[in-house]
Amino acid sequence: MQEKINQLVDEAVNEIESIENLNDLMLLKSKYLGKKSEFNQFMRELKNLSNEEKPKVGQMINLAKNKINNHIQEKKEAIEKAKINEQLAQETVDISLPGKKISLGKKHILTQTIEEIEDIFIGLGYQIKEGPEQEEDKYNFEMLNLPKNHPARDMQDSLYISEDTLLRTHTSPVQVRTLLENEKKEPVKIIAPGTVYRKDDDDQTHSHQFKQVEVLVVDKETSLADLKGTLLIAAKKLFGEEREIRLRPSYFPFTEPSVEVDVSCYQCHGKGCSMCKNTGWIEVLGAGMVNNNVLEACGYDPHEFQGFAIGFGVERIAMLKHGIDDIRQLYTNDLRFNSQF
Amino acid sequence: MKISMNWLNDYLTKKIDAQEVEKKFNLMSQEVEGRYSLVDAKGLVIGHVNSCVQHDNADKLKVCQVDVGNEILQIICGAPNVDANQKVIVALPGAVLPGNFKIKKAKIRGVVSNGMICSLDELGVQDFEKKETGIYVLNDSAPIGKDPLQYMGLDDEVIDLDLTANRPDLLSMRGIAYDVKAMFDIDISFDKPKVKRVKEKRELSIFTETEDAPVYYGQIIENVKIKESPYWLKSRLLAAGIRPISNIVDITNYVMLEYSQPLHAFDFNKVNSNKILVRKAKENEKITTLDEVERELLSTDIVITNGVKPIALAGVMGGAETEVSDSTNTILLESAVFDPVSIRKTSKRLALKSEASSRYEKGINHELTKEALDRACELFVELADASIVDEPSFYNQLEVNYQDFELSLDKLNKVTGHTFEIDEVKAILKRLDFDYKEKNAIFNITVPARRLGFESYQDIIEEIVRIYGYDKIGMSLPKTPTEGKLSKKQQFKRNIRNFFSHIGFYETSTYSLTNQFLATKYDVTETSLVKIMNPINTDREYLRHSVIPALTEVLSYNHARKMENIFLYELGKRYTQEAETELISGLMKGDFLYSLWQKQAVEVDFYLLKGIIEKLFIDLKISDFDFVVPENPIPNLHPGISANVLIKGKHIGWIGKLHPEEEKELNVKNVFVFEFELEKIYSAYNENVKQYEPINKYPSVSRDIAVVVDKLIPAKDLYETVKNISNQSLIAIDIFDVYQGEHLDSQLKSIAMSFKFENKEKTLSNDEVDLMVKRILNALEEKHNAKLRQ
Repeated sequence: MQEKINQLVDEAVNEIESIENLNDLMLLKSKYLGKKSEFNQFMRELKNLSNEEKPKVGQMINLAKNKINNHIQEKKEAIEKAKINEQLAQETVDISLPGKKISLGKKHILTQTIEEIEDIFIGLGYQIKEGPEQEEDKYNFEMLNLPKNHPARDMQDSLYISEDTLLRTHTSPVQVRTLLENEKKEPVKIIAPGTVYRKDDDDQTHSHQFKQVEVLVVDKETSLADLKGTLLIAAKKLFGEEREIRLRPSYFPFTEPSVEVDVSCYQCHGKGCSMCKNTGWIEVLGAGMVNNNVLEACGYDPHEFQGFAIGFGVERIAMLKHGIDDIRQLYTNDLRFNSQF
Repeated sequence: MKISMNWLNDYLTKKIDAQEVEKKFNLMSQEVEGRYSLVDAKGLVIGHVNSCVQHDNADKLKVCQVDVGNEILQIICGAPNVDANQKVIVALPGAVLPGNFKIKKAKIRGVVSNGMICSLDELGVQDFEKKETGIYVLNDSAPIGKDPLQYMGLDDEVIDLDLTANRPDLLSMRGIAYDVKAMFDIDISFDKPKVKRVKEKRELSIFTETEDAPVYYGQIIENVKIKESPYWLKSRLLAAGIRPISNIVDITNYVMLEYSQPLHAFDFNKVNSNKILVRKAKENEKITTLDEVERELLSTDIVITNGVKPIALAGVMGGAETEVSDSTNTILLESAVFDPVSIRKTSKRLALKSEASSRYEKGINHELTKEALDRACELFVELADASIVDEPSFYNQLEVNYQDFELSLDKLNKVTGHTFEIDEVKAILKRLDFDYKEKNAIFNITVPARRLGFESYQDIIEEIVRIYGYDKIGMSLPKTPTEGKLSKKQQFKRNIRNFFSHIGFYETSTYSLTNQFLATKYDVTETSLVKIMNPINTDREYLRHSVIPALTEVLSYNHARKMENIFLYELGKRYTQEAETELISGLMKGDFLYSLWQKQAVEVDFYLLKGIIEKLFIDLKISDFDFVVPENPIPNLHPGISANVLIKGKHIGWIGKLHPEEEKELNVKNVFVFEFELEKIYSAYNENVKQYEPINKYPSVSRDIAVVVDKLIPAKDLYETVKNISNQSLIAIDIFDVYQGEHLDSQLKSIAMSFKFENKEKTLSNDEVDLMVKRILNALEEKHNAKLRQ
């Protein structure tokens, strides 16, 4: 009996080894372990054995069956694994082929620059104000200390809609509107981004339409030193942490003192290069302390209040930061340009 | 303003270097546009042509023996005017002329030449002589062997200042000297003009009828000899950028540069009168100005008249009739003050801008009217052998009010955020030549007449800080405690931009000004148009009503450059006389997603556009939106492939395909566009915190049906019918097939719909679902004659 069983197990194991698909394996399983299998026959023959031998042989048969079953199970797993490997091999793709092209989309570089400036000042506690592009002469000029026939009006050749309205030439009228609107005459701390217009022919450095961001702080002790500190933060955030600033005297009718603000050249780090015309400094914007005439016109008592204003030229900042050499590119919308930022 | 360093140094007690001047001006005063040598040449000497003979081998060349002081040089010269006994400018071997032109010893047709005899043109000097015919011949007193540039006053350096409107004082060399004094903290000195006047009486009465000409001096100068000006005068005018003409004109220009006081010389014999009346022009009065143009005048112009008719346009340009000429013997020299605004208006209207008018416009120093006149007289005696007869006639209606400002040390420190010491402030005011009184740290400061346009103590603060140095002011931040944030609307606009950029659209930046046709091209209703009174050109004459024409232009531009897939958006405005309405506009063309090698593409069509807009609204938590067939066609859109878009029943804008004619014009096919009013989307934008809805734990059941209906019935109608008769169990309807064609009547279409049912309390039984589907079918049949497709 023992021999017979061992022989049968060897026979089964050999047969299992040679099998290559699941179907044959199942047939084999029923051949050796099914109802009509020889093992079943042995089991039925157990009853003819002595009581002493019965458990021994029974155990022997079960061990043999388990052994075969284990082999079948192993084989099954091996076949299944081979099958998956085959599938994987078949499904493998050339990952170097190009992906599906999805339209990319970008915000315009001018929008990105404005949002960058906005975020710097939001971080410093400023709120954002807007104003109309069709502006009254009163707000655009007169209340900003630029009466009719002021020679400085020549600095800004304007596009007029009527005697009293024009396309605003700067975002500074938002200063006036914000101060006037503030009935309780509380401190003001705002920035005002927007589109402005000048009567200029478009060329490499001029655009009849462009964007500015105005900054205005009016409070009881807002000082020139505060202006310098604010400018330094803005310069570092926009042009890099190592930047320094330099103020030079200038003139704007709505600020006094007025300054031009230079940032240390980020290309040569102040040594002098073509970018900064060998000066080590690049002119980036204008600023100053709010002129008393403006405060007064807007109902703020200049004995009590003082403040500063800054005017960013958005195009200039974007062009400096990204090395853009022609302002018209910002309005052409060549997608080969717009997609770069 | 161009500063001659030689001239400036005349006023200074200590010589200063041009490079230092440039640096100080940049940091403490006005921006320097350039610094350069008046003549960019080295290695020049004055030579004497001892002999000049014909070159043996060249007709047009002469061989000269030139005494240059320490030796005699043989120099070949090709100038037609070279001759023996001339004093000439010699460029020695090793000299460098403008344009980095190096002079070397050379052999010309077999004869050695040790340098070059120069023309002024070769030295880069124009306009020094009326007509240059060859080499420049110096006057007889030129010292042989010395530097000719120094001898002629051309050894100068020039600093070109870019002046701001508040510093008219820097339009004069004396004003420049004052500023240099303050910046460098050095002393300056000016000579008072000394005039010898012939004590003889001359009849000349000067009076005025206008307040716009407050001061007028007229001086008769006789026996004027018109000739060329001396070298030094010509050189200084050249350095200032003014062309020398003759001694009379040059003297008036020189004094103007010195004092910023414009002067005008009339040929007194041509004035034909002993009376000078300054008045406003009469309407339609005429004058022919120096440039031979007849000008029609307005009553706002100031004119100088001989009592009868205008002889000069005050402060702007002289009259042709009284112009000085080579035969002029007696002149009437004018030194006057005119109203800046009046001069500015006249000069602007007639497009006549001169050195004089720009000085009058910005304002001149009223204290120097007489002194400038005297200075000119002094020069007329010296350079034109003239006799100054009698004292000048004049009137002066001006009351000079000195400007006084009070500034406390406290205020200065509060405004600057810096701690100034009282002595520092005193020292700076002294350097500036501002008179002051100080008591208890409160300064009372008198601004000198040469500094115009001060409005308040703020101007004084500016003066103190610029001389002190902006770099020495510390840094701090405003202490105003405020919250920094975007408003809800601003955040909304950023969200819109983020949405379109992330989904694949490029934001454009286009011009608001356009022509009339494009401004109104997409108008649905008639609205007012904004026209520019003084447009740059007719293509920038009107403010636009729609951004779409700009987007189609961007499309054309990019399409012409072989770009196929173009997705654009812009946040622009519609401008009317009444309002500025913010718009969100977009354009789509080409494949939204594609893979060439897989031969797959999602090309834009109406439903892609509609899907994107639906996603936008859902992202903004707007649910009650609708697309409806426009009652009237939308201009330039395909009438069958366009829709009005509503939110809560209100029209907010439109979407659609461009009209085939429009596409033909653009030479691009399948272009889709949309334009919405931002504010109307914003007002529906729901920012409320959304409350969570529990997820149903019972499974949903789906059923598909297909019905055949008249092909003109919109799918939406079927939707509405289904929704209306169904209860809450119906949670989704979707259309998964639309079919027309074979096996169907040509008037019919088949629409396949999928329904999803669920109940929050239980699992729906098949019977329940079947019943609901049956009710749906009945309703569709009843309402739309829809038959279940078998």
